[in-house]
Amino acid sequence: MNTNETHVTQENKMKRRWGMAIDLDKCTGCGQCSIACAQENNLPIFEDDSDQPKRVAYLELMKVTNDRDAKYPNVEVTFIPKMCQQCEGNDPSNPKPPCVSVCPVVATDVGDDGVVSQVWSRCIGCRYCQVSCPYEARAFNWWKPRHEGSFKKSLNSDVSVMSRGTIVKCTFCSHIWKRERDKAVAQGITDINAVLYTPTCASSCPTGAIVFGDLNDPDSEVSKLSKDKRAFRLVHTIDEKPEDEKKRLMKLKDYPNPKVYYLSSRQWVRDMMRFK
Amino acid sequence: MNTLVKSVIDFIVETYNSYSKSMQIFFIFLAVNIFLFMVFAIQILFWGLGYTDMNNIFAMGVWIIGDLGLVSLGGGAFFTGFFLYMLRVDKLEPIINSTVLIGFMCYLFTFVFLVFDIGQPLRAWFGYAYPNWGTHLMPQSMLTEVVFCLTFYFCVLCVELIPVVLRHKIIDAIPAFHYIGHYLHRLMWIMAAAGTFLSFFHQGSLGGGMWDVLYGKPGWFRAHHQFFFMAIVAATAGGTSFMTLCPYIAGKVMKKEVAPMETFQTLAKISGAMFIFYTTFRIYDVYTMAAKYVPSFDRNYLDIWGGYYGIWMLVFEFAACFTAIAMLNIKKFRDQEKFMVIGISSGVAAIIMSKLYVVLHGFSIPNFPWKSFAAYNPTIQEWFITTGGLCCMIAIYMIMAKWFRLFPHLDKHEHHAE
Amino acid sequence: MKKIERKDFLLLGGGAIAGGLTGYVFSGAPFLSFQWLVEWTQDQYVPTKGEEKYLQKLCEYCPNKCQISIRMIGDRAVKVESSNSCCPLGQATLQLLYHPERIKTPLKRTGSKGSDKFAPVSWDEAMKDISSKVNKLVKDNKADMIAAVNKDYSLSGELLERMIKASGSANVYYESSEKTIAQGALGGFAEYDFANTDCIISFGAKLLEGWGNQCQMNQHFLNWKKKGVKLIQVDTNCSTTTSLADEWIAVKPGTEGILALGMANYLIKEKGRTSGAPNFAAWSQIVINQYPLAKVSQLTGVDVKKIKELADTLIQARNPIVVAGKGSKGVSSSSVEMQAVYGLNTLARTGAVALKAPAGMGAIATTGKAPAAGLDDFIKNRDFEVMFVNEADPVYKSVLGKNLAEKMEKAFVVSITPLINDTALYSDYVLPSISVLEGPDSNNAEIVKPYKQSKHAGDIIIGVAKLLEKAAVSFQWNSCLEAMPGAGQTKNVTAGFAFNAEILKNYLNEYDKLMGSTEFPMALLPVELPYVGDGDGLAFPYVLKTIDRHTYSQGKLWVLINRESADKYGVSEGESLDIISERGEIGSVKAHLSDIVAPDVVGIPLGFGHLAYTKYAEDKGVNAKEIMSDKLDPLSGSANWWATRVKIS
Repeated sequence: MNTNETHVTQENKMKRRWGMAIDLDKCTGCGQCSIACAQENNLPIFEDDSDQPKRVAYLELMKVTNDRDAKYPNVEVTFIPKMCQQCEGNDPSNPKPPCVSVCPVVATDVGDDGVVSQVWSRCIGCRYCQVSCPYEARAFNWWKPRHEGSFKKSLNSDVSVMSRGTIVKCTFCSHIWKRERDKAVAQGITDINAVLYTPTCASSCPTGAIVFGDLNDPDSEVSKLSKDKRAFRLVHTIDEKPEDEKKRLMKLKDYPNPKVYYLSSRQWVRDMMRFK
Repeated sequence: MNTLVKSVIDFIVETYNSYSKSMQIFFIFLAVNIFLFMVFAIQILFWGLGYTDMNNIFAMGVWIIGDLGLVSLGGGAFFTGFFLYMLRVDKLEPIINSTVLIGFMCYLFTFVFLVFDIGQPLRAWFGYAYPNWGTHLMPQSMLTEVVFCLTFYFCVLCVELIPVVLRHKIIDAIPAFHYIGHYLHRLMWIMAAAGTFLSFFHQGSLGGGMWDVLYGKPGWFRAHHQFFFMAIVAATAGGTSFMTLCPYIAGKVMKKEVAPMETFQTLAKISGAMFIFYTTFRIYDVYTMAAKYVPSFDRNYLDIWGGYYGIWMLVFEFAACFTAIAMLNIKKFRDQEKFMVIGISSGVAAIIMSKLYVVLHGFSIPNFPWKSFAAYNPTIQEWFITTGGLCCMIAIYMIMAKWFRLFPHLDKHEHHAE
Repeated sequence: MKKIERKDFLLLGGGAIAGGLTGYVFSGAPFLSFQWLVEWTQDQYVPTKGEEKYLQKLCEYCPNKCQISIRMIGDRAVKVESSNSCCPLGQATLQLLYHPERIKTPLKRTGSKGSDKFAPVSWDEAMKDISSKVNKLVKDNKADMIAAVNKDYSLSGELLERMIKASGSANVYYESSEKTIAQGALGGFAEYDFANTDCIISFGAKLLEGWGNQCQMNQHFLNWKKKGVKLIQVDTNCSTTTSLADEWIAVKPGTEGILALGMANYLIKEKGRTSGAPNFAAWSQIVINQYPLAKVSQLTGVDVKKIKELADTLIQARNPIVVAGKGSKGVSSSSVEMQAVYGLNTLARTGAVALKAPAGMGAIATTGKAPAAGLDDFIKNRDFEVMFVNEADPVYKSVLGKNLAEKMEKAFVVSITPLINDTALYSDYVLPSISVLEGPDSNNAEIVKPYKQSKHAGDIIIGVAKLLEKAAVSFQWNSCLEAMPGAGQTKNVTAGFAFNAEILKNYLNEYDKLMGSTEFPMALLPVELPYVGDGDGLAFPYVLKTIDRHTYSQGKLWVLINRESADKYGVSEGESLDIISERGEIGSVKAHLSDIVAPDVVGIPLGFGHLAYTKYAEDKGVNAKEIMSDKLDPLSGSANWWATRVKIS
């Protein structure tokens, strides 16, 4: 469905603001995104990966039902692929994700394109960023990551193998961006904002439920989807408040303001974004 | 070589035998804990934090609770020092050595627990080499502030501790050390001032600032100055209670008067006053959380007190606070030893409970409506490293009390006795 | 010269040391040595670098024949991408390709069966031994004692079937799927024109969760959304398919067939529909007599109005499809239900459903006794002396797996598989096959060489067949590549479908008896995870990462129980249970309370409880099939494991 986009646009003056739109009406919970992500990012292999709270995974396929509010047979289930939401904070021009400002050693930082990076060779493993993340997007290497025997053969050279005791997370496959950037530079295109790419989860989704692109580009599919009436963000109920209430709350504190939008035509999914 | 080892062993055995049965059992208990501490320390350092019950949801556990508690209670050192050296409340003189020692050990073991708690202890120095400074020398990360202030304050404590060590009979006999000790003692007020200044920062940031900046988590977020200063007040209140309690227990164990009752009562009075301040502040804090901050997350304050770490924690904390206020401020109670002890114990318990609630309650709150409250059951490794650390502290305290001039009042007493 | 006094010496020495230390510290040397220490102690593996290239290959695992692009770094395949990225195999394939427990050479059993003791042998030796055993049986006129179990109707499956039949035995069986059940019940497997339909009523077939050809189903799903095709799911438990469908008709467990018969009753009685298929008269008579709408409504829990509405929707649609075969990857059903559901297609006179049967790869003379109706029938009632298992795992997947293992202990078993699975444990020879990425495709593109000595299953079978005295003549190909063009042929057998009134006669009685059992008040219904499927996926570590904590967590399998039922039976969240059926007991599992499952149902995940299937799948949870119903269906010869009744303790 979506192959790795390698086309590059000339003369792009806009700074990129990478975002995602995930259509839950198309997601069948097949898990390909999760497995593709694991394959691409050299996620560690454990014999028993059933200890979910300690699991090292960038993409959690959350199974959500409305059985809090409904009884059989009025129940439905949906799958919500959740990765790092690349939060922005209140002001996109000066991004302030909840996790970046708390790192004592600047192992995580937000780039010009809005992607929150994670450098695990700098990380000291204090887990403060993990504490601050409202989306539980960060994983810590509680055990030494291993790739047994010949599994090492399918390791991706673009991503360094992580060490024990460091925090890791989804970076919107920024190594693929780097690969595309290097290709562009080799072709003589030096404008950093000319580079386009697709992260692995988006390119592997069989129904095209995950759409990735530049939110700053009004013509991009992700931009249009983010403004769709079916769009909402995870547990980000401030979106549904009237403007003046929004302004008042935003003065009180920063809100994560994530760049991953979810789309669903079903009201119960939006109801499940609220706590009761 | 053999004779040296033999004489050391003989010395240890002789000391051990000189104590009562119950004390001997206690020493065995301490030794076992410290031994297991070392065993599990090796396991955690070499094989990873997977052996703890911390996980991606409950990212911090007993050791951070220990750190928060130790720093807060150890903060009594700076406050006592402030009162003695800056406000010249000389009644506090007899226990200042004990206070400094406890403070030193609390901060030392804070670092020890932290070394175990971070995933890459060998990279701990990154905090100094690559700090997360914001603009104008204001740290952007609270942990950066914590790291630097804790380090500087620890240095201050080391310097403050030196005279205590130097007062040992043998060392004091050497004139060079005697002079160093004497002059250091004269400069103590600079140390105390620096310590007070630094303590404001690290108490506030570790106890409060670190948590209240997390704008994504409803259990913790508040106005920065609110929780920050409340943590400082908590340290002054709980810390002074703790500094009163420890030498008091020591005195009971040693069956000697380590300091005059007036000293204890003075410190208890200070603690009581700070508890009034703290409790008021805390009531305000709970109110703003319920009315303003938690609703800004579209959550309900009482709902986030679900799970195992429920509202009983808050109730307990307030109960302990009010007990402490009553026992320590009302002269009639404070003057009676029994009630004073209840008061300072409640004070310590209140502050410990406040740290427990910060960590246990804060982490257990679900981030998504379809997830439930989390629980935390520390593993044996976590328990023994914590208790081992605490037993180390007790052991060091006892050694200093017995062989060093921790309680100068004892000498006076003996003098008088003769 | 002034004598250097001890004091001066001490001062000088002290100063030198202090100065040296300061210089050392401030030079950064200790920090750098710490950095080195950090890196040295982490000993992080660095993947070998190499030239990056993207190689193209045709994946010929299924008729879809997708073009896949493999990203190579040097000679290592690190990522698989496909042009339509619909295939679930793609992402997990690399984990099979580089699995450390892949079998390197043909293995010969050295210990007792089930002990997992094997020794490597050469292909020549293995083939000679295997073929000699087959030849002997043929010579002794005991060809019927040769049997084969195929996973599905793939190239290697067809080749193996040809080999067995050409040797004189009709005992070729396929693992339970919507195709095999349909072959027995309907005379052929249903081919649905999903691309051109306007309305689909699925009776328990979880179309969006791995049912059928997952690749194609995903494409169809998107098409349906675009064109506004209506999907109605008849199912007991809530699942992705029921949630994404336009309508979910919730039925009581095991009553899908009854609902279909109710609809048929309405269509025949009130809408005057008939079918030209043989035995329709006898069949419809029973439908009219035994399945009035009021009764059907009471049994299924769907009210009469809805049943009529559903039937009306069916006949008003232009090109409707009614899908039969409950489950996702593991499909099971009764023939009565299959016939009833398929029958609705004929009553609706839809052109979108046809019955097809494999046409084989050319004529061969088949002699020998008639085969058993299906694999489970064969396991229960027949004996064998030689068995070939082609990339299947019947010891794990069949409800009669234990019986099969017992029979295998007395027989000569050859298992073709890339990883040691439960069936391979009971085999005499284990022959390693390859993943879809290895070996050449029809365009002769070879990206990755077959792992060590493994071969394409088709090549293995051709190799053995050429050594068989009787069968060799039917094998004119030298490699499976040569055989590929002739494979996958089907013939239309729609006209061959006949209703069977005999099996319908007592259906309701049997249903009442089953439901009447007070000892087993709950229904055991399987729940499948998309990647784990019916057990195949669990060997791959990245699949383990997709499993949620209410399926398998911290070493325990979880089952789903409705909240109302939990109250009734006194079960609390997270409580440990044992599940007991007529056949036995499995435990312990943990209970998760959720209204996703219907009342009085235990929803148990399939795919767990392997005894052998790499360390990633071994000893995880329990195998639900062990206690699932082994009552054989007369037409399909398969056990209908959706009809299992259990109690919990």
